[in-house]
Parts: sequence; C-alpha cells; structure tokens
Amino acid sequence: MRVAITGMGCLCAAGGTLPQCMATLFRGHRAPALPRRFSTSHSDPYPVFEVPDFEESPDLLRTSAMGLAAAREALKDAGLDEDALKGLRVGVCVGTTMGSTLNDESFCRAFRRGETPDLEPMARIRRSNPAEVIARTFGFRGPCQTIVNACSSGTDALGIGADWIEAGLCDVVIAGGADELGRVTYSGFISMKIADNTPCKPFDLNRKGLNLGEGAAMLVLQSETSRRGRARGYLEGYGSACDAYHQTAPHPEGLGLKRALRQALGSVPVEDVAFVNVHGTGTPDNDKVEGRVLSELMPAVPFLSTKGYTGHTLGAAGAIEAAFTVACLEEGRIPPSVGFDTPDPDVGICPVADITPIRSHRALSQSLAFGGNNAVVLLAKGERP
Amino acid sequence: MKPVRIHGIGVAGGFGTGRQAFEKALESGLPPPSLRVDLAALEAFQPARTLRRMDSFSRLALLGAHLALEDAGLEPKGQDGLGLIIASGHGATVTTAHALLDSMLAGDAFTSPIHFANSMHNACAANISLLMGATGPNLTVSQFDLSVPSALLTAHRWLREGRVERLLFGAVDEHSDLLEHLWRRQRGESQDPMRPLATRVESARPGEGAAFFLLSTKEETAPVYAAFESVTVGRGAPVIPSSPLRVLGADGRVELGKTYGAMAEGARIACFTPHYGSFPASPAFDMAAAALMLRRGHAFASPQGEANDTESTVLAADEALGTQGLSCLTWVPEGFGVVDLAISA
Amino acid sequence: MDTKTKLKHALADELNLPELKEATFDDDAPLFGQGLGLDSLDAVELVIVIQKHFGVEIKDMDESRSAFASINALAAYIDQRLAA
Repeated sequence: MRVAITGMGCLCAAGGTLPQCMATLFRGHRAPALPRRFSTSHSDPYPVFEVPDFEESPDLLRTSAMGLAAAREALKDAGLDEDALKGLRVGVCVGTTMGSTLNDESFCRAFRRGETPDLEPMARIRRSNPAEVIARTFGFRGPCQTIVNACSSGTDALGIGADWIEAGLCDVVIAGGADELGRVTYSGFISMKIADNTPCKPFDLNRKGLNLGEGAAMLVLQSETSRRGRARGYLEGYGSACDAYHQTAPHPEGLGLKRALRQALGSVPVEDVAFVNVHGTGTPDNDKVEGRVLSELMPAVPFLSTKGYTGHTLGAAGAIEAAFTVACLEEGRIPPSVGFDTPDPDVGICPVADITPIRSHRALSQSLAFGGNNAVVLLAKGERP
Repeated sequence: MKPVRIHGIGVAGGFGTGRQAFEKALESGLPPPSLRVDLAALEAFQPARTLRRMDSFSRLALLGAHLALEDAGLEPKGQDGLGLIIASGHGATVTTAHALLDSMLAGDAFTSPIHFANSMHNACAANISLLMGATGPNLTVSQFDLSVPSALLTAHRWLREGRVERLLFGAVDEHSDLLEHLWRRQRGESQDPMRPLATRVESARPGEGAAFFLLSTKEETAPVYAAFESVTVGRGAPVIPSSPLRVLGADGRVELGKTYGAMAEGARIACFTPHYGSFPASPAFDMAAAALMLRRGHAFASPQGEANDTESTVLAADEALGTQGLSCLTWVPEGFGVVDLAISA
Repeated sequence: MDTKTKLKHALADELNLPELKEATFDDDAPLFGQGLGLDSLDAVELVIVIQKHFGVEIKDMDESRSAFASINALAAYIDQRLAA
C-alpha cells in the first residue's frame, strides 16, 4: 500500500489549524481546564481539552461541524478547490464514536417524562452523519462511510479510505475522524474510573487516567493519476486486529496490537521506523500494554503520546495523531511526550521527554479501543518542502 | 482473485428465528403480523450467565452471529483470525436513549459503567468477537439507511485483498420506545399491510432484526448460497445495474417510491420488506432473500406484489431465475447501494 | 433489612446475578476471579451500586480491592463506613 496524503486539516485543544497545533506541541504547552461547554453535577470536576473558539452552526452537531472544518482546511492544503474536484470520484470515510445514534439528551429526557418534545434535535442528528455532511457540503459522489469503532475509529478510517484509493474505487478520499465532548461521555469515563482529575501523565509511574478532549482531523488521500502537486506524506500500511479478550480492557500482552503492528509494517523493518505516535491515554492499563508491546517489538524506537496536549479525542484521536505524525516527519523532529516525569518499571520503557530529532522518514501511529480493537497506520514523509 | 462467497446465513426478524424460518416465510409469501424479534432463541446458544451484562441490542446481534456460524457449520468459539463487520444505523437505542440516561437521573456521578460500555456503537461487535474468539479486524459502520451497503463495501474489499479469509458480516438494528415515538410523530400509525411496490402510497411499518452472513474466500465444507460480484455505493443518481433481476429495498416510505420506480424500470423484480419491515439494517435481509433465491434457482413471491405500480414485472413464486445474477438495490436521498450477487460456480 | 441482605438484593438486580438471592450462596466466596467471576467492569459498576444504595462513596479503587473480597467483607466495609 502506498497512498499519497496531499492535504491535512486539524482542530483540537492544541489549535484551530494543523500549523497552530504543531506550534503548541513544540512549545510543550497544554491547557486542560474544567468543562465550559456543558454543566455537570460531579462534585469533583475533571479537566478536559475542549476546542476553544469553535462555534458550530445550530443546524449541525458539533462533531460534524468540526469534521467539516478540518475537511475544508485539508482540501485547501491539498490545493483542491471546487474546479479541481469536478469530475473526480471523491469518497469520505470518517471515524467517530456515535455515528447516527439518536441520543440527544434533552429530547430523550423529555420523551421519558411523557412530553412531546420538538423534533428538531432529532432532525439535526439525521442531518449530521459526519461522513455524509462532508460529502453533501462539497457535492461528492463517491462512497461514504462513518466508522464507529470507539477509540480506534480515526485510524481505521484512514486505512479503509486508503484502500478505496488502492482499489481504484476513488480518485480522492477525505478520511479522518471527529468527536465532540459532552456530558454523557464525560460522566461515563469518570464512572469507569479511568479519568484523571489532574492533567494526564501518559506512561508516568503516577498516571491515574485520561483527560477527555474533542476535535477533528482530516487527511486528503489521492490516487497517483489524480494527484497534481507534491505529497505531504504517504500512507504505507494499515493493520487492524481484535484482542477478543474483554469488553473494555486491553489484552494484557497486547495480542491484537502486536498483530495490527505486524500487518501495518508488512515487509518494512522496524529499524526503518523513526518513531511511534502511541495511543498513550494515561490510563494504567493502556500504557502498560503499549509499553510492553513496544519494548518487545521495537525497544530502540522513540515514541510519544500526544494525548497530553489534546486529551483523548476518542473517535478523532487516530486521525489527529496521524496528522501530527506526518507533520513531525516533515519537521524532522518530535515534541516531548508531555506529562511524563517518572519512569514506571512495570511499563519498562519511556517516551521522549524532550524535542527529539528523528532519523528516518517513516513512523507509526497506533490506536487501541473499547471492544479490544487495535488499529495501526504506517506513514511516510512526502516530497513537499 | 478468489471469489467472495456466502456460506452461512443467520437471520432473526419479525418472521421468526433462523434461515429456515425465513425461507418458510418467503415461500409462503405471508408477512408476519408482528415485526418484533423474540430473543428467547439465544438461550439455546449461550447460558444466561454469559448474557448477564448484555443489552437487547448486543443480544440481537449475538443471536444473528450464532445463527450464521451454525448455518455455516462453524464452532461459535476459537475463530482465530475471523474478521467481523457490523452495520447498524441506530446502534443500541434502548441503552443510549433510556438505560444510560436513567442511570444518570440521580446525578452524573451515578452514570452506570455497564450501560455506558453498552452504549458504545461497537459494543455488540466487542461481545461477539469476545465470545467467538474472532481476532481478525473488527469494524462497526453507522451510515443510517446506507449502513449495510457501505459496510459491505469494506467487507468485500477486505476479503478481496486478502486482509481476511473469513469474515462474519452482520447488520442489526433494534426497535425501541423512542423509535416508535418518532415513527408515529413523523409517519403516523399504519395498520395496513406494507405494499412497497405501490410506490405512490405510504405503507411503511417499523421493523427490527439481525441478518448475519459468513463470508469466505476459502474452500469451505458448508454449501454456498451465492457469490459477490460487486458492491457499489455512492451519492447522486443511482447506478442502474446491468442485471435485469433486481431485489428492491423499497419499504413503503412514499418519498422513496419514485426513485425505486425508476430503478425497477424494465426489470424483473422482487421485494421482501413486508417480511421484516423498515429499518436501517433491512438491506441485509434483502440480500439474504436474494442469496436464498439464487441457491434454489427459483423466485419467492413478493408479498403484495400485485400492488406493483412500477414499469416492471414482479417475479412469480417459483419462477425460474436462469443463470443470471441478482442485484440488491437500496436508495435514500443520501445515496444508493447496489450489491450484485451471482450464482456460485 | 440488614446491610448484607440489602447488598445481595442490590447486586442481584443491578449486576443481573440471581444466584445471590439463593439461600445456598456462600457469602464468603470471592466476588472476583474464580468465585463469582466478576471482572474490572463489574468492579466499577459495584462502586456506583454501593453509592446509590448505601450512600457510601469509594474513591480509591485500591481501597476497594479488600472490601470487594466477598459479600461478607463488603457488607462489613459498608457498615464500617456508615458508622464512621
């Protein structure tokens, strides 16, 4: 597999565009704060990474509006305007956590009380399938797929979108992920006892859990025949495997993750991998499994978690991290894995603590999810200066 | 490239449970009075203990998965490397709209972790892969009424490119109080039988169910129902398939009637939605019926087929299909899906 | 109803464990692993159930480990917290 990435767009707590996000990462800056966009009755508040200064229009869900914003940035970056897209077969593949679930909280509560609530919130959900919103807005005619694989959705969407190019089904695919943060998700993760009430500390001995975030990232994937400009990067491999171990916990030996990694790498030797952008949520279980797998399969490869800058953006995470990975390959360096201070002997391996130059032009980005899903993409640097 | 074949069909819907019950309903041409699924059959496959934390959505999906594996003669465990793709428009609506929110009534701190885990759209995929030991790639797709053709596109690709050799494909959607409420407010209450081929009148009724398929590129011992020719999905004007034999996904929603009429034009058609009703996963039942017809070589009668007002011929009961394949067509304003099935050599 | 009976009824209903209501159930049997077979997801649900039915909040999952050893241990823990 070798599919060109010709444009990227990203928004999350670290910034409203991909260049802004990268500047934040290399400044080592992060600003988790208590939720502002929703109220909660929790007595101990937990910090989150909300996207500041982004207001969705009232006719769309925030998830889809953020996905659309990232798609606009990515298409502009790829130099694909309306004219350039005319006549091309364009598909859209987007990861999120709740694809078309009719779960508007206030509507459902009112309905449960026996009221007859206004139908607009349900109509908004019907208008807001994240992949369909992008296709509808730009008038694309290719396949649309919204992937709801929990926290690996964004990575899976990239692998599947790239396959549509490889198979000749599309000339262009907008692939990525989008997820907003709301009260139910926030409360759910707190109840699961995997949220940290301080800024998260991926891979640190004293890590207590994750901080939630929100955001979106989209990559423009293009066939060689439709591509005019230079590529920013290439998607060279996709691996996906299920632990089949537990509903919410990862396999302790990372069985599925190892399989997914091997699939994504294919024949590329581990020595060619400059770094790994790991899932690194900061939960005790996740980081232990990832640490063990990395120390077994690629102990000498530097790795980082960017969750400390963005929070865990769930269905968007894999796409945001893939965009960061390609941008880091372009910059030739990776930012420190923020939040890490004290090594954990049980993890057995440490993320990079400083800005680190990289040695080769390939990197991995991996995601682990509820349900035991593991997804990995292999990314390579392009020719764009 | 190795052909992708259907070796097992597991269906549960208003018509009953299992491929045989579905075939019986199709042969009779008589749709069931109720379009709800009875989940009791799941007890034959799993002890109550295993189902302890599973909500109705996961149970419905698990029932479909078991039935498909059983039909394909495969053990429902230790399926190392088996891929799994689930298509669901609405996901676990009973949990997301009711149980999870109810658990939060006493305050956010009381949010139930089990309900929260069950509210994940891929919770049923997690449960199935866990019980079946399906360690292959695992994917859940949610694209409203196009969930099935969209997810099938990826299933077909994964098998074609050799990412997996065997894959369990399932479509599942459950009805709920919330969906019933929305349906009545938007469409009113219909007591009339569904007449999907009467394209100018509204006759849709909400259904639910699970339709699972064991797809494989391996030489399997289980018999073959049909093979995939192609899966096409997109937006805009639908691709009209070359095959003159078409199974329409028309489901009595009047706003879709005109386009289904155009897709039927000049073709020999069938439509089976009255057996299972209108819901996002229903195109998978169209495909199950099509695969069963291809294996027997003869058509099933379309319920209320005499009400056909399109420019097409409705296949008669037991009419010979010949050697051509069948196309299953799904259309909504957001896009279309065409699944071309062939008789397997 | 004493704490133990109330606890067993609450767990039987909330975790769908009807065997807890049977007279033959061993109140010293381990709740996790080889005993009743509960796992990490049940553990976090248990925390919510205990908070909801007894008003006892368990903040630290490490603390819960010994409390969750068995029905008898858990009932004793709840009584102790309620008395404090």
